[in-house]
Amino acid sequence: MTAARRGLVTIGAVGMGYAVLGALTDADIKPFGVLIFLAGVLVAHDAILLPMVIGVGAIAGRFLPGSARTPVRVASVISLAVCVVALPLVLGYGRSADNPSALPLAYGTGLVEVLAAVWGAALLAVVVRARRDPAPRTSTRIRAGDARPERPPESGRAKQ
Amino acid sequence: MVRDDDPGLNPAPARMPGAATRARAFVTRGVTWLQQPWPAPPAALRRGPLHTGIFTSRLRSPRLTSQLGIALAAGFTICFVTGLVSHLIQHPPSWFWWPSRPIGLYRITQGLHVATGLATIPLLGVKLWSVYPRLFSWPPARSLAHAIERASIATLVAAALFQLISGTLNIARWYGPMPFFFTAGHYWSAWLAVGALLVHIGVKLPIIRAALTHAAPERTRPGGLTRRGLLATAGGAAGVITLGTVGQTVAPLSRISVLAPRRPNVGPQHLPVNKTAAGAGVRDLAMDPAYRLIVAGPGRRVSLSLADLNGLEQHTAILPISCVEGWSSTATWTGVRLRDLVALAGVDPDDAETYIESLEAHGRYRATTVPPPHTRDPLTLIALHLYGEPLHPDHGYPARLIAPNRPGVLQTKWIGRITPRSTS
Repeated sequence: MTAARRGLVTIGAVGMGYAVLGALTDADIKPFGVLIFLAGVLVAHDAILLPMVIGVGAIAGRFLPGSARTPVRVASVISLAVCVVALPLVLGYGRSADNPSALPLAYGTGLVEVLAAVWGAALLAVVVRARRDPAPRTSTRIRAGDARPERPPESGRAKQ
Repeated sequence: MVRDDDPGLNPAPARMPGAATRARAFVTRGVTWLQQPWPAPPAALRRGPLHTGIFTSRLRSPRLTSQLGIALAAGFTICFVTGLVSHLIQHPPSWFWWPSRPIGLYRITQGLHVATGLATIPLLGVKLWSVYPRLFSWPPARSLAHAIERASIATLVAAALFQLISGTLNIARWYGPMPFFFTAGHYWSAWLAVGALLVHIGVKLPIIRAALTHAAPERTRPGGLTRRGLLATAGGAAGVITLGTVGQTVAPLSRISVLAPRRPNVGPQHLPVNKTAAGAGVRDLAMDPAYRLIVAGPGRRVSLSLADLNGLEQHTAILPISCVEGWSSTATWTGVRLRDLVALAGVDPDDAETYIESLEAHGRYRATTVPPPHTRDPLTLIALHLYGEPLHPDHGYPARLIAPNRPGVLQTKWIGRITPRSTS
């Protein structure tokens, strides 16, 4: 291990130690609550969300026609990320009756608008790809693809 | 456990070199012990995702992971530094100093904090997907050192998710799912995340270096999603999230930010509110005609009615309210300069700090200390009017603090008492 790596590991370990010590001595912290949340988000992500994402991706790969596969995957990734941010706003548990300036928008509508823009762009990409490459992707089509490498599909990069 | 390194050969009393040698030998023995291979678990346990070849995507590569990792490290660094600045402003140690100018600096650092954190969400998601098969590597731990490294990665992932999810819940003001006080939990977990990140980079540095210096051949099928395509997707997701929310602080974008937790011009008197007068339990006290603002210097104590305050020299300042939650909004405030009130109490305003208390009986933010740069600054007002009208009760009627370059949570509302202290 080089000095740089040793230094990074040492400083990092000190930082982690500071975090544990600080949390244990902070009167505002219930260490058990923090621990529960740390474990909760880890399990929720690694055991629930990610397997679901991989599963849906595998299903999309099996059933979608070739020209739709990539745009649908791109749009799905973007949609999922947007939903993570939007979900607490859409659920709206943070609203309070006496403060209408907090969470003032119709977030359900907003989320639908954003997703419509993303999937609209994905649909456009599917149409463009299908036109450029009309036949279903077979082994001969892959040969054609080899001869003429395609640009990475970035059409799903939705903008407002 | 500690044996003498070379008994008999070096009988002279060990000075520094001897001690250093012994220490090195001790460390070497410790490292060897840590790396002692563990017996492999029975192969019958290797089921489900633990099987080889269960993850088939050809998109995963050390290069993809390293590139996402660099973007994430940049994002977490921005969030950590801006978050630490915000923490230090609110809990200043004696060595810390925060200026009153430029007036919008805190609005930028905190706006950046929240916007960067939100944009980091898809990057973290894709990064964790790219290394997901490693969670099921076999054997689960080869040695104690390997087990510790894996535990540190679990800590990093948990702390990183903790930061992004708790931050997202906080800007949506949804505290139910968090069984802890958000501010303190988010702060200490930030240290945990950054510490674990440094350890992780230190451990993985050779892999990162190799992945970034040697271009890997693209192994994906033609027409399929490529590594660059996936990076662009993560970037695109970050872009959509940013456009969807950043209008809460960048006012020109507020109309397209349909997922912003705030709109800068929505609220009483076209300004958002975080804590209402009713919520703070001060409505009756604030509306009471017998209201007096007490300014208590060490030698002189002044009691001012609202009419008295309005009779003092009035000044107007255009200053933003910049919330720790990442939203901000500029408004036009009119009132008495804090430095004039400090002088009224017989304290030199060029060399003073001010303790300001709200009419609130309780609450974490009922009182605040205005440090010397802000006490001195002629833009710091005890505001009585907002856009020319008396303050709305939710904006702190009858009088509130508004100072340049300061977190909104420290811009005390419904002020009842001002205590200047000389700092010279």
